[in-house]
Amino acid sequence: MTDLSAGAASGQTPRSLTQTDARTKKRNAAEKRFRAYGMAAIAAGMFFLVVLLGSIVTNGVTAFQQTFLQVPVYLDPEKLDKTGNRDPEEMKKVSTFGYKPLVEDAVFAAVQAAGIETAFEDAGDMDALFSASAAAQLRDRVLANPDLVGETVTFKILASSRVDGYLKDRVTRDSVARDKNIDAAHLDLVDGMRDASLVTKSFNWDFITGSDASESRPEQAGMGVAMLGSFYMMLVVLGLALPIGVAASIYLEEFAPKNRFTDLIEVNISNLAAVPSIVFGILGLAVFIQFVELPQSAPIVGGLVLTLMTLPTIIIATRASLQSVPPSIRDAALGVGASKMQSVFHHVLPLAMPGILTGTIIGLAQALGETAPLLLIGMVGYIATNYPDNIASGFFDPNSAMPAQIYEWAKRADPAYYERAWGGIIILLVFLFAMNAIAIILRRRFERRW
Amino acid sequence: MYDTASRLEGQVSATDIKIAARDVQVFYGDNHAIKDVSVDIQDKTVTAFIGPSGCGKSTFLRCLNRMNDTIDIARIEGEILIDGEDIYDKRVDPVQLRAKVGMVFQKPNPFPKSIFDNVAYGPKIHGLSKTRADLDDIVERALRRAALWDEVKDRLTAPGTGLSGGQQQRLCIARAVATEPEVLLMDEPCSALDPIATGQVEELIDELRQDYSVVIVTHSMQQAARVSQKTAFFHLGSLVEYDTTDKIFTNPQDSRTESYITGRIG
Amino acid sequence: MPAFWIVLIVLGIAVAGFVLGRSRALNAVIGDRRDLHSLPNYYGWNAALKGVVPALGLLAIWLILQPMLIERAVTGLVSEQAIAEERDLGLVLADVRRVAAGLDAAVAQGLLSGDAARDLSTASDDIRATLATAGVALGSDVQPAVLAAAQRFRVLSGQAGLVMVALVLAISAGGTLYGLREVRPDFRARNVVEQGIRAILIGAACIAILTTVGIVLSLVFNTIEFFRLYPAADFFFSTTWSPSFGGGSELGILPLLWGTLYISLIALLVAVPIGLFAAVYLSEYATKRVRSVAKPAIEILAGIPTIVYGLFALLTVGPLLMKVFGDDGLGWMQAGTAVMTAGLVMGIMLIPFVSSLSDDIINAVPQALRDGSYGLGATQSETIRQVILPAALPGIVGAILLAASRAIGETMIVVLGAGAAARMELNPFEAMTTVTAKIVSQLTGDADFASPEALVAFALGMTLFVITLGLNVLALYIVRKYREQYE
Repeated sequence: MTDLSAGAASGQTPRSLTQTDARTKKRNAAEKRFRAYGMAAIAAGMFFLVVLLGSIVTNGVTAFQQTFLQVPVYLDPEKLDKTGNRDPEEMKKVSTFGYKPLVEDAVFAAVQAAGIETAFEDAGDMDALFSASAAAQLRDRVLANPDLVGETVTFKILASSRVDGYLKDRVTRDSVARDKNIDAAHLDLVDGMRDASLVTKSFNWDFITGSDASESRPEQAGMGVAMLGSFYMMLVVLGLALPIGVAASIYLEEFAPKNRFTDLIEVNISNLAAVPSIVFGILGLAVFIQFVELPQSAPIVGGLVLTLMTLPTIIIATRASLQSVPPSIRDAALGVGASKMQSVFHHVLPLAMPGILTGTIIGLAQALGETAPLLLIGMVGYIATNYPDNIASGFFDPNSAMPAQIYEWAKRADPAYYERAWGGIIILLVFLFAMNAIAIILRRRFERRW
Repeated sequence: MYDTASRLEGQVSATDIKIAARDVQVFYGDNHAIKDVSVDIQDKTVTAFIGPSGCGKSTFLRCLNRMNDTIDIARIEGEILIDGEDIYDKRVDPVQLRAKVGMVFQKPNPFPKSIFDNVAYGPKIHGLSKTRADLDDIVERALRRAALWDEVKDRLTAPGTGLSGGQQQRLCIARAVATEPEVLLMDEPCSALDPIATGQVEELIDELRQDYSVVIVTHSMQQAARVSQKTAFFHLGSLVEYDTTDKIFTNPQDSRTESYITGRIG
Repeated sequence: MPAFWIVLIVLGIAVAGFVLGRSRALNAVIGDRRDLHSLPNYYGWNAALKGVVPALGLLAIWLILQPMLIERAVTGLVSEQAIAEERDLGLVLADVRRVAAGLDAAVAQGLLSGDAARDLSTASDDIRATLATAGVALGSDVQPAVLAAAQRFRVLSGQAGLVMVALVLAISAGGTLYGLREVRPDFRARNVVEQGIRAILIGAACIAILTTVGIVLSLVFNTIEFFRLYPAADFFFSTTWSPSFGGGSELGILPLLWGTLYISLIALLVAVPIGLFAAVYLSEYATKRVRSVAKPAIEILAGIPTIVYGLFALLTVGPLLMKVFGDDGLGWMQAGTAVMTAGLVMGIMLIPFVSSLSDDIINAVPQALRDGSYGLGATQSETIRQVILPAALPGIVGAILLAASRAIGETMIVVLGAGAAARMELNPFEAMTTVTAKIVSQLTGDADFASPEALVAFALGMTLFVITLGLNVLALYIVRKYREQYE
C-alpha cells in the first residue's frame, strides 16, 4: 500500500486546501477510473439488451409479412366436377393432385398474359413458385363453395418459402445455386412478376393464427395452435398454483407455529425456487407420465409441471404482501371479536390481493416462457397441426406450446424456419411484456403505503 | 517541520480562530435547516454545540467537513473558513478537507476489519507512511493517543467490531486521530455509551484539546459543562448564544438559553 | 371421463349439504340466529366440507393406487411368457394395458359387444385388426397370455371402478349427513370449519415437501435402476461419453461435467464483473434518474425466457464469433456452437441476476460505515473498494454461488448454443456439451426407456440436482449469516 512518491510528498503536504496535492490528484484519477468502470458495466448491460432486442426485431419482423401470388384461376369443371351436379360429396373424390395443375396453369397463364419474359415453357415448372399447400387451400375453397366451379376466380396463393425468402433478401442468387428446389431462372421470373404486381407481400395473419406445418413447408407454419397449447397450460397453472400458493402462504405467514415442520416447509420452498427447470421436467416425466400415466405432450402435464415450478414464486410474492399488511389491521379485527381465521380471510387477504395478483402474473409470465421441462414431457417434437376439438381435448390431447414451438423451429434445417422462430419470439415477448405491464400497473394502482 | 511550527504557533496564541463561519444557511430540499449562523471556533479548545434535538447542531457540524455533500438534497450558502480558506471554494477537494477535519460519529462505526487495519485505514489512503514500520508507529501513536493501546496491543489483528462499545468509540477516535487532522468533529460521541465508557471518552476529549480544535455536539448539558471551554446554543436552526461555557451555564444572556439550561424546553 | 362426473356429483351433494345445514340451523332456533353459536353459514360449510374432503381424498388415492394394484394382480398371468421371451416384464405389462385400452375403445365404438370382448380368443379372432379399426395400433399380434391378462385387467378395472363410484358417493353422502346431524344451536360450527380450513391450508403448504419428495424419488429410483445396468464407477470416473443404441455405450459423466463447468466459468467471467460494477454504480453513484432507467432496463434481461437466449446464441452470437474466430478470421473455431458462444450468452443472462442480488447486498451495508470512511477523507471509490465491498464480501460470494448454480442448471442456451460433442479440451472455441443438454438428448431420443442410454439421464439429473442443491444451500447459508451481521 505504501507509495514512495506519495509518502515523500506527505512530509511537506501543503496545508492550503485550495491546492490539490499530487497524491489527491492521483486518488481522484483513480476515483474517475472506478466510476468509468461502473458506467462501462451499465453501458455493457444496456448494449447487450439493445443487441438482443435488435436482433429479435430485425430477424423476426419479416415473419409477419408473407408473399402471395395473386393470379386468376380457372376452375375447370372438366377436372373438378365431372358429373356436373356440384355435389360436394362427389367433388371430394378429386384430391389435391387434381388441383395442382390448375394452379400451375393459372400461374403460367398469368405470367404470359403479363408479358413477362421467361425461359420456362412448361406450366409444370411453375410449382417452385408456390407453396405445396396451395392446391389444398384451393380445394378447401372450392369444396366450401362448389358454385365457384366453372368460373375464373382471383386467388391469393401462398408463395413458396424460397420465393418469400428471395423477396425478403434471405434467399440470394448465390444460395440458389446449390438449391434443388428452385433455379435462378425462377428468381428472374419472380422479379418480373413483382413488377407486374402478380407477387405481393401482405400481413401474415396465418402466422399468428395458423398451425405448424411439415418440415418442407415453412411458408405455411404458424403459432396459433401452440398459443392455444400455452393458453391451456396457463389455465392449469392459474387454477392450481394460485389457490395452492395462497393457501400455503396464509398458513406459513398467519398460522404456522415456529417449529421444525414449518422450517422444513420453508427450506423446501426456498430450495425449489432454485432447482434447475430441467429437473422439474424429469419429475414430470417420471411422476405424471410414467407413474400417473397422463398422456404425453398434453398441456395438462405441462401445466402441472409449470404449476410446481411457479408455486415458490407465488408463495414468496404472497407472503411478502401478507407481511406488508400492518398488524394493526389484524388486531382491529381480533379486537371486535373476529376469529383468527375471520380476520385473515375478511381483512388481511383482501388488502394483500393486489400484491398476490402481481406476483401471480409475474409467475405466470415466467411459466409461459419456460422451455426446458417441456422438452422432457414431449411437447417438443410433436407437430401441432390441429386445433383441439373441445376443452377436454385442449387439456388432454397432445399439443405444443409457444416456447416449445420456437425451439422446434430453431432445430429444423431450413433457414426459413429461423425467421419463423424469431417471429415466434416476438409474439412470446409481446405476451410477456403485456403481462408484466399489467403487473406493474396493478402494483402502481393499488400500492398502499402504510 | 511545518507541523511542529504550526503547533508552536498555536501555543503562542491559544485564542487563534481556527474556523470562522459567516451567515451559513443550509437547506434540505425546501426545509431551511440552518439559518444565518455565524460563529468563530478557536484552536486548541473544546467547543460544545448544545440544543434540543432537531435544532440543527449536527447539521451545522457536518457542514464543517462537508459531510453534507453526500446528501443529494442538501444545499449550503454562506461562508465557512478554516485557517482563512473557504472550504466551499470550488478548488477545495473535500477529500483533502476531511483529512484535515476528522470526524467521530454518534454510534461507534468500526469497519469490519482488524483493529490495526481500522486505525491504519486513514494513513494508508492519505499516504502518510513510507514503510510498514512507519505505519506500525502511526497506529501505535494513535491508539495511545486514544488511550486504547494498553487494552488492545496484544490483539491488533482481532476484528474491531469485537470490542466493547466504549472501546469501539475510542477506536474510532484513534482512527480519526491517525490521519493527523487539525480539527476533530464529534457528533454526540457518547450517546451510545454507558456512563463508565462515557467518562473515559470525556477524559480523552479533554486531553485531545492540547493538539486539536475539538467541536463536540452533545445533547447532555452536563457533558458540555464538563468537557468544553466554549458553548454554542442552537435553537430551531439558529445560533442563539455563543460564549464561554461558564457564562452560558451560569449567566445566559438569552431567555431561550436559560429555559433550555433550566430544563423548560428541550 | 367418469372421475369428472364423480367430482361433479360430490360437489352437488356438498351444495345440497350447505343449503340444508344452513336452513336446519335456522330452523333449530326458529329463525332467531342470535341463539346459534356460529353464523348459520358455518353450519352449512360444516356439512359441505364433510361431504367433499374425505370423498375427494379417497377418490384421488384410489385413482393413483388402482392401476398399480390391478397390474400386480395380472402380473402372474404374463410373467411366465415374459420370462420365456426374455422380455422386460414392464414392456409386457405395457402391452397388456394397450390391448385392454384397445378392447375398451372397441366396445365403446360398438365394434365388439361387452360379452364378445370378454370371450375373444387369439385363436379365432384377428384381434390386431379389430383393435386397429378401433384406433389402437399394435406392434405385433396379441399373445394368448397377454390377451388373457388384458381381459382380466378389464374385468378387474370395471369392478374396481364400480366399487370406487359406490364408495366415494357413499362417503360423500354419509359425511354430509353426519354434518347435518351435528347441527344443534350449541354446536361450535365455526371452530370445526376453521379446523377444517386450517387442515386444508396445511395440506397446501405440504405440496412443497411433496414436490421435493417427488423429485428425489423419481431421481433415486431410476438412478438405482441405471446403476444396476451400468457400473457406477464407470459413470463417475470414465472420461468417455459415447452412447450407442446397440449397446456397449460408454457413459462417463466427466466430459459432461467439464463442459458444464467450463461454460459456467465463462458465463461467470462475463456476468460477475459487469453485474458487480453495475450494482456498485447503481447503488453508490447513479443519480435517481439514471437509476430509474438503468435498473429496470437491465432487469428486462432477467425477464427474457431462456429459449430466446438460446436462439440468440445459435443464430446471432455463434455466427458473429465465427466471423472473428472462424476459418475466415483467426481459425480457432470450427462451428458457431461452442463453449464460448454458450458461455457469453449465459453470461449476459446472468448479469441482472448478479447485479440485483449484489445491489441488495451493497444496500444492506450500513450508512454508518460509509460515513466513517468519508469522514476520514476517503474518496468514494476507496470507500467502496476498501470498506463496502469487503464488508459485503460474504453476501457477494453467496450471490456468485447462486449465479453459478443457475449457470450449471441452465438448459436451453447450452442445448442450442454449445454443440453436442462430449469433449474434455481447453480450447473454448470448441463445441462441448453439458449435463443438462445430455439429459435432454437422452430422454428425447428414440432410446428404449428401460435401457441404460435413457436411464443415464436420471443419474445425470441426480448429479445436477445434488450439485445445484449444495450450491444453493451453501449460498443461502452465507447470505443469511451476512444479513444477520447487520440486523
